[in-house]
Amino acid sequence: MDVSREALVETNTGEGGLDIETIFHAHYERIARVIARVLRDPSRAEELAVEVFLKWSRNSSAQGENAQAWLYRVAVRTGLDELRREARRSQRERVPRFFRPSPTPEDIRAAREDQEQVRAVLAAIQPRHAELLVLRSHGLSYDELAGALDLKPASIGTLLSRAEQTFRKEYIKRYGPQ
Amino acid sequence: MDPNREQWVDERLSALRPDREWQPDESRGLARFRRLRDNTGRRRRYWGWMAAGAVTAALPLMAFPSTRAFAQRCVSACVGQSNWVHDVFVRNVSISGPSSVFVKADDRRMAPDLVLDDASGHPVRLSEFRGKVVLLNFWATWCAPCRIEIPWFSEFQKSHQDTGFAALGVSLDEDGWDAVKPYIDEHQINYPVMVGNDDVAQVYGATSLPTTFIIDRSGRIAATHVGLCSKSEYEADIKAVLDER
Repeated sequence: MDVSREALVETNTGEGGLDIETIFHAHYERIARVIARVLRDPSRAEELAVEVFLKWSRNSSAQGENAQAWLYRVAVRTGLDELRREARRSQRERVPRFFRPSPTPEDIRAAREDQEQVRAVLAAIQPRHAELLVLRSHGLSYDELAGALDLKPASIGTLLSRAEQTFRKEYIKRYGPQ
Repeated sequence: MDPNREQWVDERLSALRPDREWQPDESRGLARFRRLRDNTGRRRRYWGWMAAGAVTAALPLMAFPSTRAFAQRCVSACVGQSNWVHDVFVRNVSISGPSSVFVKADDRRMAPDLVLDDASGHPVRLSEFRGKVVLLNFWATWCAPCRIEIPWFSEFQKSHQDTGFAALGVSLDEDGWDAVKPYIDEHQINYPVMVGNDDVAQVYGATSLPTTFIIDRSGRIAATHVGLCSKSEYEADIKAVLDER
């Protein structure tokens, strides 16, 4: 049993019921890392991770055995939503690029080309496919994926295969078969 | 599952791994979490107090007839505004100015009959004016555009009554005769004025004030004026209907 699950069981069985801050300690790092996979700016990922926990603390139905699955689901959706927003924003800003200030060295370092390409593809494909791929790349097992995305464990293989197919097709369409 | 494709995708997705040096700052995150959670609680309490304050302020308003009437007017004004917004954005009606519609004789519909008491308590029936051209004006003492129009109608009554013209006013004042009688006396309105209600206004579709109908000699609606229209528009329509034979 990993640290987070131990913490979850302890908090569920403790006399005081669920302690939000214990859950926070147990899961914060993992949730922030899931979001940081999708976003360029790690500090933004941390802000969004805090918002995920706020949503969790306000949602009584999420506070039970499936807290971890719920947190993963909301985290990956929050991250991808932000990624799509960023993609739309950069599209809108493309025209008046001339007026934008030149990027800082930090921006240049952060905007690693390979990462940016993968993120652009994730922002473009179906959200359900993107969620599966991000969580899978984060190291979730099939069972954990099924729990997090509310899917049947038996269908994960097929869905994942379809998601990979879509990802590859979109990637090649944009950047060629590298 | 195609192992090559799986490997290809895994290689691409591995680029997403966050920088090894980066470590989420849990203590900062927790501080932010606590701050936001407390702010939300504070905001909820704030709105709770605001709602309680609004109810407390509204209760004395409803306790006295005069303040109650004032509150009703405020509500009516708000409803009027929301109707305006509805008209502009939902019904797509142009509210850039008042509207006047003149209907050709063949396309006119009958004006619904109405019977209401005048200031002296005598019932006035619209159908009794059949054979005359009637100007039927829905108004209220608190309605500023209505107050501008009323002297014109008195003037029309004076100048055209010999040619088969009659003006009639239907006030929609919530205070009824208490508000309307002094107004009639003060402004020397020379035509019959009745006090109506929302049901009467609804039958005529008079959803905003002022609304004025010009009814031909056969009792059919010949023209509808909504809002403050010009005096010359009224005169032209009255003359056109009077000239019909």
